[in-house]
Amino acid sequence: MLEACVFATVLCGFLGIILKHNLVMKIISMDVMSTGVIAYYILIASRSGLFTPIVDNKENVAYADPVPQAVILTAIVIGFSIQALMLVGVMKLAKNNPTLEASAIEENNTP
Amino acid sequence: MALVSVAYAIHIYLMSSPLNIQLLDSFGVSLLVDELSSFFIFTNALVTAAVIIYCWQTGKKAFFYVQIAMLHGSVDATFICADFISLYVALEVISIASFLLIAYSRTDRSIWVGLRYLFVSNVAMLFYLIGAILVYQAHNSFHYAGLRGAPTEAGALIFLGLLVKGGIFIPGLWLPLTHSESESPVSAMLSGVVVKAGVYPLLRCALSLEEIDPIVRLFGVCTAVLGVGFAVLEKDTKRMLAFHTISQLGFVLAAPLVGGLYALTHGLVKSALFLIAGVLPSRNFKQLQHQPIDNKIWLVLVIASFSISGFPLLSGFGAKVLTSKNFLPWQVIGMNIAALGTAISFAKFIFLPRQKSAQHEVKKIHSGFWWAMGILLGGLFGANIFYYKAYTLANTIKPLITIALGWLAYLGIFKKLAIKLPRGFERFNHLIGTMSLMLILLFWMLWAQLQFST
Repeated sequence: MLEACVFATVLCGFLGIILKHNLVMKIISMDVMSTGVIAYYILIASRSGLFTPIVDNKENVAYADPVPQAVILTAIVIGFSIQALMLVGVMKLAKNNPTLEASAIEENNTP
Repeated sequence: MALVSVAYAIHIYLMSSPLNIQLLDSFGVSLLVDELSSFFIFTNALVTAAVIIYCWQTGKKAFFYVQIAMLHGSVDATFICADFISLYVALEVISIASFLLIAYSRTDRSIWVGLRYLFVSNVAMLFYLIGAILVYQAHNSFHYAGLRGAPTEAGALIFLGLLVKGGIFIPGLWLPLTHSESESPVSAMLSGVVVKAGVYPLLRCALSLEEIDPIVRLFGVCTAVLGVGFAVLEKDTKRMLAFHTISQLGFVLAAPLVGGLYALTHGLVKSALFLIAGVLPSRNFKQLQHQPIDNKIWLVLVIASFSISGFPLLSGFGAKVLTSKNFLPWQVIGMNIAALGTAISFAKFIFLPRQKSAQHEVKKIHSGFWWAMGILLGGLFGANIFYYKAYTLANTIKPLITIALGWLAYLGIFKKLAIKLPRGFERFNHLIGTMSLMLILLFWMLWAQLQFST
């Protein structure tokens, strides 16, 4: 069930990238998509248990798998920086194309 | 830094046993360095050196060189890593660095082209991440070898990501616009080494898993024919070169075992050609026909074009012979068509008019250009030593016939032909949409492959 929700999020984001016309909306859809991917990593990490993997007095509790969490942390940072970079690019483009319609910008800038 | 890479590449090539490093047991970063990666690292080093020398006198800011250095480092990282997550990180650093390089001129068009590139590659990498976690779920490790027991969809998702990054087949059609609209040194860098970063992991997977090998080969043939088909009909120099990059990547993939040498020669020749295209007076072939170019430029242009068409004495010949020896029977027809197409499209360069000394030359060519050419073309002659056994009579005749046929076809048919190809496939929405179609196709192919093999 949870898995289905995660894939629905990814799909929503993907369709948003295709169907939305505004460039900012496209970037937000991409964010939705990456949120879905991150959620999927967390979901897989929690397969083995829900406890935070920190050494404690308690013994034999079901820990969550730390590896996917560590990996996705890297991916989150990278995704975030890429988004920041894209938004800067969009700001620059907004000077000459105030509506930010992707198709219009494409029309103007393709040889 | 490039010099360090050169030295290291030679060292690896001479080393007999491949180096396999596993940091922090099965969860950590694993690196794999062998002969295949040495070719790629060598290409990267030579191209970067040439590009930096070319740019030295053009007054670029320090920012530009920092980006080049970052790009160089991260491309090298993809050539040695052997697990999916370090590959992911390296590929994303490549996207960011090349976005900044493409958008260096800060015009609206360059920003849009860069943004489009970043968008496409980032979406592909998201699919790739889903694939990577599926591999992890199956094996508790991100190593390349984990692809074997992983579910089919994992393979399909990872392949989609790599195909898009490497600019292969239909999802790779973002490449022509990106490569043709950026500045010449940047296109040289992108076309020469950056696309190889997507191709190299594919080769690695094909070499380690024999189930995947036929699929990679099939993509190689399709890509080679598709790319060359566009290149033959293209009227713009830089776009032609970019389409031709797609087709050459097909050659690299078509014979995974010996892809390294081909990648080396293609990287050298393509960056040389992009740098030359930057100093030509016009980008349109029609105008170039009426505007004679300087004899010296024509000479380097011809050397590069000859090498890529597979003319003997240049390393393009050795690479082509070696690659064609490794084809499977069903690949031969497709690849011969692609080789003929290569000869046709480069006849456009060879038959350009020329003159002794151009007095009315507008742009003064600085000496950095000649140094860069020296490195790249010297590399082309030098790379012959990797496969000197190619020089037999039968081997030599075949490319000569191909080239002759190609020239005849060019002079007879293609010079007058004016077909305008639709560019619909390069629209942004279509690029993203094709990705989903490709995903279904890949899934189906891998599934069918596994069904037959078990």
